[in-house]
Amino acid sequence: MSDSVVAKETTRPKIDLVDHAIVLIIVCLVGLVMNTVGPAIPLMDGFMGMIVIYLISMAGLILTRFAPFYLPSVAWISLVGIVATLPWTPGSEWIVAQAKSVNFLALATPALAYAGFAIAKKEIEVAKHSGWKLALVACLVFLGTYAGSVLVAEAILKLQGI
Amino acid sequence: MNALRGQMGLWKLHLAVIIIGAIAELIGIRKIPLGIGAILLLPLLYAFIMAALMNPNVMPKFGKFIGEKEVKAASPLIVIAIMPFIAKFGTTIGPAIETIIEAGPALLLQELGNLGTIVLAFPLAVWGLKMGREAIGATFSIAREPNLAIIADRYTLKSPEGAGVMGVYVIGTLFGTFIFAILASLFASIDVFDPRALAMACGIGSGSMMAACTGALTEVVPTMKDEILALAGASNLLTYATGLYAGLFIALPIVEKLYNATAGKRDLAAADNKGA
Repeated sequence: MSDSVVAKETTRPKIDLVDHAIVLIIVCLVGLVMNTVGPAIPLMDGFMGMIVIYLISMAGLILTRFAPFYLPSVAWISLVGIVATLPWTPGSEWIVAQAKSVNFLALATPALAYAGFAIAKKEIEVAKHSGWKLALVACLVFLGTYAGSVLVAEAILKLQGI
Repeated sequence: MNALRGQMGLWKLHLAVIIIGAIAELIGIRKIPLGIGAILLLPLLYAFIMAALMNPNVMPKFGKFIGEKEVKAASPLIVIAIMPFIAKFGTTIGPAIETIIEAGPALLLQELGNLGTIVLAFPLAVWGLKMGREAIGATFSIAREPNLAIIADRYTLKSPEGAGVMGVYVIGTLFGTFIFAILASLFASIDVFDPRALAMACGIGSGSMMAACTGALTEVVPTMKDEILALAGASNLLTYATGLYAGLFIALPIVEKLYNATAGKRDLAAADNKGA
């Protein structure tokens, strides 16, 4: 059954843009509070930055809904963020300046708070079940990633003879 | 406008997130120094822990303010709350595009070294520890924020895959700096690898991981300090640019196929046995 769920995941979900537009406003306002309290960025600077961030997110969602091919919303939102800030995009300097007033860690805080509230009974059972296992796997994840990057970089440097 | 009414009905949840988040931000980033490394504590981690402590499923006694209705509603909100974060992320990549192009083939290709996590961690997780689908989330990447977003978007963070990525994420946030400081000093002290390769590999994680990693590396090879910092910084930039896409289009599909081809059949067989 799980296999078919995976298969279905690759088809385009119907995003209700109006719903998302409203919920995104709430989420951005929550993020603005974090941005003001933690990194102590002036409220009006943060507000302008958040408007830019909001518009990029909405543009990404619109593309997720209507683009000729499907990409997940995070990929579209990220791509819009990149294209909007490329040096040769008109007005990109202004967009970059506004976005600088938004701290990325401050935006992650509310997302993790929602995640803490979303913990279900079943998850606690899973955590209890595989706690030490995940810790062990995590250590190998870090080791594997670091060692893998070192080996590839080493090989390319040798190949280039530099 | 139904969405607005729906969210108004969830005022308790949003208020709790604002209060908890504000407290977390006020505490700020804390460092617990431990020998060669330091345990780094971040606001998003306190926010997660505080929210979990108010969750009726975690703490049944405190389940007065937040109920099952809020718990159910919180899950789809995680995905939307991550969207502004991803947008902000994108805006840091565009301005650096020329640096990224200049950074060269070694920098670009060492990004594929991230797949080393699949070689090392996936076999242990699936065959050694007999983990289920959480192994997909746990081993497809180094489990930083963009990878959380990938899993949140594809499976949700409430799924087994989400539990896997969250587990590695939390461990990485708590102990990542320490692990990376140890890794860098070990790799450098055996004197086999080019310090420039070690420096590029320092950029594969979060900013704090890179700080710990380059800190340890420059201690071992102080004569190459400037070069190490420059290469690690460029690699980190590249990880920001490519990490999301490498995870989404290369690592996650590989891990999914590996899992479905091996452990997935085991799961199906187990399900059949139970059914029979």
